[in-house]
Amino acid sequence: MKIGYYPGCTLKTKAKNLEISTIEAMKKLDVEMVELDRWNCCGAVYSLADDDLVHLLAPVRDLIRARDAGLTPLMTLCSMCYNTLARANLLMRNDEVKREAINNFMEEEENYQGEVEVVHLLNFLRDSIGWDKVKAAVENPLDGIKLAPYYGCTLTRPLDVSVDHNTYHNVFGDMMKALGGEVVDFQEAETCCGSYQVISNPDAAEKTTVRIIESALKAGADALVLSCPLCDYNLGKKQADLMASREGIQPLPVVYMSQLMALAFGVPAEMAHFELNPPLTREFLEARGLLARV
Amino acid sequence: MCDTATIEKKVPEVAEELVPIYIMGKKYEVPASLTIMKAMEYAGYQYIRGAGCRGGICGACATVYRKPGDYHIRVGLACQTVVEADMYLTQIPFFPANRAVYKWEDVRGEAEEVFAAYPELFRCLACNACTKVCPMDIPVMDYVAAIKQGNLEKAAELSFDCIQCGLCATRCMAEMAQYHIAQMVRRLVGAKIAVPSPHVDKQVAAIKSGHYDEALKEVMALGTMDPFNQDANKENIDKLKELYNKRQGESHATDESWEPDDKYALLEDAR
Amino acid sequence: MPYPDSLKELIKKVEATRPARVEKKKAGGEFPALNLDERKGVLEQFHPDVKEEGRREIKIGPNKGYRICHEMVDLVEARSRVNPDKVDLSKPDYTTDVLIIGGGGAGTSAALLAQEQGAKVIIATKLRHGDANTMMAEGGIQAATKGWKDSPYYHYLDIMGGGHFTNVPELVSTLSKEAPDVIRWLLSLGCNFSKFEDGTLKTMHGGGTSRKRMHFAADITGAEMMRTVRDEARNRIDDISVIEFSPAVELIMNDKGACAGAVLYNMETAEYLVIKAKSVVMATGGSGRLHVQNFMTTNHYGATADGIVMAYRAGVPLCFLHTIQYHPTGVIFPEQAEGILITEKFRGAGANLVNVDGNQFVFEREPRDVEAACIIRECVNVNKGVPTPTGKFGIWLDSPMLDVMFGEGYVKKEFPGKHILFSRFGIDIGVEPMLIYPTLHYQNGGLEFKDDGSTKIPGFYVAGEVGGGIHGENRLMGNSLLDIMVYGRISGKNAAQYAMNGVVDGELTLDHVRKYHQEIDESGIETDRISPMLLPDYTLEHVKAKQYSAEYEGTLR
Repeated sequence: MKIGYYPGCTLKTKAKNLEISTIEAMKKLDVEMVELDRWNCCGAVYSLADDDLVHLLAPVRDLIRARDAGLTPLMTLCSMCYNTLARANLLMRNDEVKREAINNFMEEEENYQGEVEVVHLLNFLRDSIGWDKVKAAVENPLDGIKLAPYYGCTLTRPLDVSVDHNTYHNVFGDMMKALGGEVVDFQEAETCCGSYQVISNPDAAEKTTVRIIESALKAGADALVLSCPLCDYNLGKKQADLMASREGIQPLPVVYMSQLMALAFGVPAEMAHFELNPPLTREFLEARGLLARV
Repeated sequence: MCDTATIEKKVPEVAEELVPIYIMGKKYEVPASLTIMKAMEYAGYQYIRGAGCRGGICGACATVYRKPGDYHIRVGLACQTVVEADMYLTQIPFFPANRAVYKWEDVRGEAEEVFAAYPELFRCLACNACTKVCPMDIPVMDYVAAIKQGNLEKAAELSFDCIQCGLCATRCMAEMAQYHIAQMVRRLVGAKIAVPSPHVDKQVAAIKSGHYDEALKEVMALGTMDPFNQDANKENIDKLKELYNKRQGESHATDESWEPDDKYALLEDAR
Repeated sequence: MPYPDSLKELIKKVEATRPARVEKKKAGGEFPALNLDERKGVLEQFHPDVKEEGRREIKIGPNKGYRICHEMVDLVEARSRVNPDKVDLSKPDYTTDVLIIGGGGAGTSAALLAQEQGAKVIIATKLRHGDANTMMAEGGIQAATKGWKDSPYYHYLDIMGGGHFTNVPELVSTLSKEAPDVIRWLLSLGCNFSKFEDGTLKTMHGGGTSRKRMHFAADITGAEMMRTVRDEARNRIDDISVIEFSPAVELIMNDKGACAGAVLYNMETAEYLVIKAKSVVMATGGSGRLHVQNFMTTNHYGATADGIVMAYRAGVPLCFLHTIQYHPTGVIFPEQAEGILITEKFRGAGANLVNVDGNQFVFEREPRDVEAACIIRECVNVNKGVPTPTGKFGIWLDSPMLDVMFGEGYVKKEFPGKHILFSRFGIDIGVEPMLIYPTLHYQNGGLEFKDDGSTKIPGFYVAGEVGGGIHGENRLMGNSLLDIMVYGRISGKNAAQYAMNGVVDGELTLDHVRKYHQEIDESGIETDRISPMLLPDYTLEHVKAKQYSAEYEGTLR
């Protein structure tokens, strides 16, 4: 089958490992991701100011392009993009006044009313593929690896765009289980990674990342599983700095959900681009026999 | 003779319909068939700024205008756009725009280098004002998006027809100077990303090593013809003409595999 | 604008004769080409170049007695814009190693190379940096980069043949030998020449080339080259400064006879500024905006021969200025596209030239000069030109017959640029013919200089269209973009080396201007003309009639 695909800027530069590993893994499920031909930044952060319509232009324009290209449902991998696009979409469906203002401003495009369905890889796998089919595609199960799925704040909040409407969120864990892994629940799985605070208020960001990492370690996790390049930056790429500046912090490997999926499906390891992860990730996967030593 | 060629200095002699236009708010009656540039000259303006090639490629004469009862900003190159009745217009011959200075020898052709030079790229909100104002119909917003996505080749392609008039920068709410960014991108693509052309280097090396010196020396020794004393060097010039006439011509239909039969003054292993 | 009804009526006559003309073509018939004697006849009578009443002898200066066009002589036989006695040379406004006059392709490449020698450089330019004919060159740049089929030897022969074998051999040899290195250099600066997937540069033929060696960047080659070198000059802002809207109006010499700077004119404040320089590169380009014999031109707004005037006053001889290149097919209607080139490819493909009655009067593939002369004859002598709404005459170039011969859509597919240009004006050139007339294109000649860029004046160098001798009496397509880069680089480098090493220092002087004025007086030339012209005056009579000022005051009339 084919699925419309919105990549997002970071997946084309610093987070190619998230994109390429997904594309390759999806091929194993006979899914072809059809990338939107013309797209711009998703807007990066959904603006909370009620009258800040200008920040909706970017995501709405992407949705218009998707509609015009016939790419609905439209899947994202980055949870930040998912959140921004899905919320903008809902607003265009539900808020008549703002919809009119935005459509009026973007008069060079045809009016948009939320025709596109925005999905994330997780609920696409759950709803359109099914965990049984995912299981069936596994060649190298992630046996005995304790994985802590990290939702962060954008996959499940606010409620009306959550990838999981259960009281107890389990879609991420279900995916890990389908790949043969062992799921570790931990207290801070839905605590914000610090997001862009890392620039304006690095100290606050550090505090929250420490809490998340310690919580996952305490729960016995071998690795933290991510679906967002910004989370990867705060929790993964900044980890070495954290070790250097704070005492008593233990390292915790971070890995994208799609990289694990690719490994489990037997996609050649170079397609998962582990060179873009912190060295720790590779060392961990090698130690567990999921990656050949180089 | 040749008076028919008198172009720019002549008032149209045929009685022609005059239409009102407003140059920076001031009314002038001008012939309806003129371009904005010629209409301004007809009105008595003499350009110092705001005119360049007068052929639609240099970007000196970017013009914005409105028409009564229509809130849209319209744009055009003054040298290419015909006046319309009641248009009110101004040229924007200059608009401040920062250009990043970078050391060409040091850049490697990576998107991150463009990001570092122009961090304002990431202030783009996709309002599309740049695309709407471009007189060359370049999808400016799309090439900005392509740069942010690290797809420099796509950005170079999309921006290729840019004449750097700067109108995009006048309208950008992220305060970018898109055309400078695109220029950096195109250069990176041309020099550091595109496939190299080794045949050029081989030929340059051959020339520097003196490979063609002998052949050139012989033909130069035949000298030249004085236009005002054409018989002075006749014997040599006849020899030169003979060489000229017998040189083998490549036909229009050839592809890159073609080589002449006569290998004189050529290079082996040149590809 | 679309063709008005008066022209649409006339187009019917072209349509009426078209089927027969197409049938004739299909049967292999052509309008008879002129023989050599007939060519000579029409050229002598009607080519603007050979028209003796179009020119006169220069009465003063190093080329006294040389017959060139009136418009150029008018500028040469004119007084300086400045009063030499008023210019204070003791306090230069700027001091630099190398002064480059002109900010086009030649000037900018000269600046880059001069800077690389360690020199501080000032570019003084009349309009914006990059406003130049370089920007407008669409076709391409010749260079023998493909050693398996081409070399500087064949390029040399082609150039000499194109120039009627009158070119200066050393200049031609250097041009052809340096050409591949120029391509290499431009590529290294990020110029996007069109390439095949394997990296081989795409090349095509131009008129008079024996090998396909015309490199191009889509159909905006000159613009791509110009914006590339300009961008790099802007990277070197510490060493290369650009003074815009400040053309040089006079060279400054020193008492040792070397060139030592220039007087600039700030066109916006009407101030004159003195630049002291150790060496000077003249790169002011051509002169299409002189509208020789009232011809329209393909040239940019500032092409007014300023460099010729300044250097001639300082004693640099002229050469090959007796020839000017006219392109036979420039747009004459619609008004807004006037002067723009219609590529020779249309005629190559078989499009007829027809007159107001729809009849052929010339074979469409005569050489450029012959074709142009025949078009002029048809309009001014036979009186069969097509009248335009603005009181001019043109000739139909019957592009629609190509669609008839090769199938509908041929013109649109083969000539996309021109098709779009005309469609903006509401004209579909696949359906309606184009109105054309010869247009001023290139200044074949110019200042005498040597292949190291130097001239007879120490410290004074030349680059680009302002120089003469490379192309002899006629330039081939694709050799002007090459010329500006080759000699821009050479002159920039050598001017810098001269500035750094061999400079002859001395007292600044404008004595040469005083002497020149004296020569004007003594020769009996009575004129109130001043030069250089700087910008063409397109003020119309109805405006001029109301400009009552007794004299020009500052920038206000």
